[in-house]
Amino acid sequence: MEKEQREKLLELFSEKLTSAARMYLENCSRCGLCVEACHVYASCPETRYTAVGRAQNIRRLYEKYFKFSGKIAPWLNEAVELDDYWMEKVYETAYTCTGCRRCMTFCPFGIDTQLIQSIAKLMLIGADMEPKVLTMLADVSIAKGDNIDATKANFAEAVHKLESEVIEKWRTEAGADTIPLEVQGAKVLYVALAGKHSIIPAAAIMNAAGEKWSLSYFEAVNFGAFVGHPKKTKEIAQRIVDEATRLGVAEVVICECGTAYRVMKHMTGEHPFKVITFVELIARYLNEGRIKLDKSKIKGRITYHDPCQIARNGGIYEEPRRILKLLTDDFVDLEPNRQANWCCGGGGGLVVIGEKDFRMKSAKVKADQVKASAADILCTACENCHSQLSDLNEHYKLGVKVEFLSNLVSQALVREEKDYVPCACRTAAVG
Amino acid sequence: MTDKIFYFIMVPMVYVAFAWCIIGTTVKVMGIIRSPKLPNTLKIFPESKTPVLAAIKDAFTMPTVRKHNPVFWLFLLAFHVAVALLIIAHLDLIPQLRITQADSPHMIGNGAVGVVLTISAVYFLLRRFRTPVRELSVPADYLILCLLFCIFLTGDVISWGNSWSPDGFVITKQDLGSYMSGLLRFTFQDPRDLLSGSHYAVVGTHVLLANLFLMVLPFSKIMHSFFAVPLNLLRRV
Repeated sequence: MEKEQREKLLELFSEKLTSAARMYLENCSRCGLCVEACHVYASCPETRYTAVGRAQNIRRLYEKYFKFSGKIAPWLNEAVELDDYWMEKVYETAYTCTGCRRCMTFCPFGIDTQLIQSIAKLMLIGADMEPKVLTMLADVSIAKGDNIDATKANFAEAVHKLESEVIEKWRTEAGADTIPLEVQGAKVLYVALAGKHSIIPAAAIMNAAGEKWSLSYFEAVNFGAFVGHPKKTKEIAQRIVDEATRLGVAEVVICECGTAYRVMKHMTGEHPFKVITFVELIARYLNEGRIKLDKSKIKGRITYHDPCQIARNGGIYEEPRRILKLLTDDFVDLEPNRQANWCCGGGGGLVVIGEKDFRMKSAKVKADQVKASAADILCTACENCHSQLSDLNEHYKLGVKVEFLSNLVSQALVREEKDYVPCACRTAAVG
Repeated sequence: MTDKIFYFIMVPMVYVAFAWCIIGTTVKVMGIIRSPKLPNTLKIFPESKTPVLAAIKDAFTMPTVRKHNPVFWLFLLAFHVAVALLIIAHLDLIPQLRITQADSPHMIGNGAVGVVLTISAVYFLLRRFRTPVRELSVPADYLILCLLFCIFLTGDVISWGNSWSPDGFVITKQDLGSYMSGLLRFTFQDPRDLLSGSHYAVVGTHVLLANLFLMVLPFSKIMHSFFAVPLNLLRRV
């Protein structure tokens, strides 16, 4: 590695040295408690697949270039030179971890491996070693934001083609748009993904609730966050912030995409609007009696996978369970669940990159967990999780049907208003 | 020559070690305080209604360790409580700060504190020789534990040596108090004049190791004693 290249990468490293990062890098006692936390280690027990093992790849560079002890006695903490070989280790840190942050619930100091992973991801971008598909998709998102006026007509036309499928689920009131766009003063700006699966069920549910909503021109997913590029992450999120501000919406509702929710809710500062997940919106509609579900529509035992970025890193634990208990009398939780739930193994950009062999191998523990539930339907509320769980279902022959929560709800919507009888106990159950 | 070496260890080096430790720790803490703050939260859920209290509780009771490795937690808790008692016990040696009765011949805990620390240090060291902690450990992890073990062991020997002597307490608690009082008053008196017992060399070794510990502390992971609460606060707010 050339000296200039090394200096450039170390400059990127130093950009990430916040007080939090320094504390995380300097205070790990390598007690090994986090070892058991990682789904990758639980599935293939190798030290490099532990939270501390990944962090050590970065910590040893920090020791070499940013600490006094690394300069006078590098052997003490095994400080290492930054070279081409070690950049492979940096890659391992960045892309064998899904950023689920389960290890934070084991570590006595709460060290956030994802933050250390973000140093690795930024260095990989500097070394031109990041997965190019993530950069390309992030750039496409930014370009779309820069040229939105040129693409609006095409987008509106594509959305219009979906309307008949929405109407199949819920009839549109006379004079109302089935999938409204550009609604000034809308209460809800719904930010979907590129596929129709994240638009049709949501549109049916919001129309059933009589919501004044508008569909965002932009996709929720933030590839800048996956690739670990802070500037691109901000630019991609800013497109949605600008649109929401222009329309004067009260709430930005993020579709079933964990990373999109976490970035918008927790990583882009304060906004003049509230940010919630679509799961929270459904729970609110049920709570307010604005939609009703028919328990007879969905057959079979249902279980729920807590997406890490929505649950452990977003706090949405109970809403999906309350919804599911109104959908079925045969709901069973995965064990462990909520904060302790195993990651699906597809986060951190792994599903987008591909890496199928690694994803399947590293998520065996997840497959075992699903199998043990004896569920017929595995429900979740995150696009990444859905893709990964579908792959696991096929690979491990789990025999479950993987479903989005919104899709199940849209299938069970009670169509006729006259049929609806408010039920006090049901309302109380959805808090 | 030996007397001169022991004098250096027991008096000037103690001042150097304390000064080094205080300056090093201050530089380290200030370096972290002055680093840029992360603009976004790092918290995990469910949230606590009293995050500061929760972080303090996390730092002092280590609930995640208790949940995932109860044996390790027992040793950790015993070790940290004993460290707190050890600091109090050493302050108790200073006549002006004495908590126990002035004529009491024993350190606080009658030697039990040192035994708990020694056993805990052995446990921490041994678990580093087992997979997977062995693969994760670096030389500094073993060395700091070896250093602590030797400090605790020499402390135990000082304690036991006093009791086992056929002449009774050859270096009494009061003698050690006089030595520490002299250090506090910067008298630069030769400690040999105050500590006449036959295991003076063990006391000297104990002080040497303690000096070394103070000097490496700012560069070691023991700095977690200053950062455990702020670290836990990061996942709470």
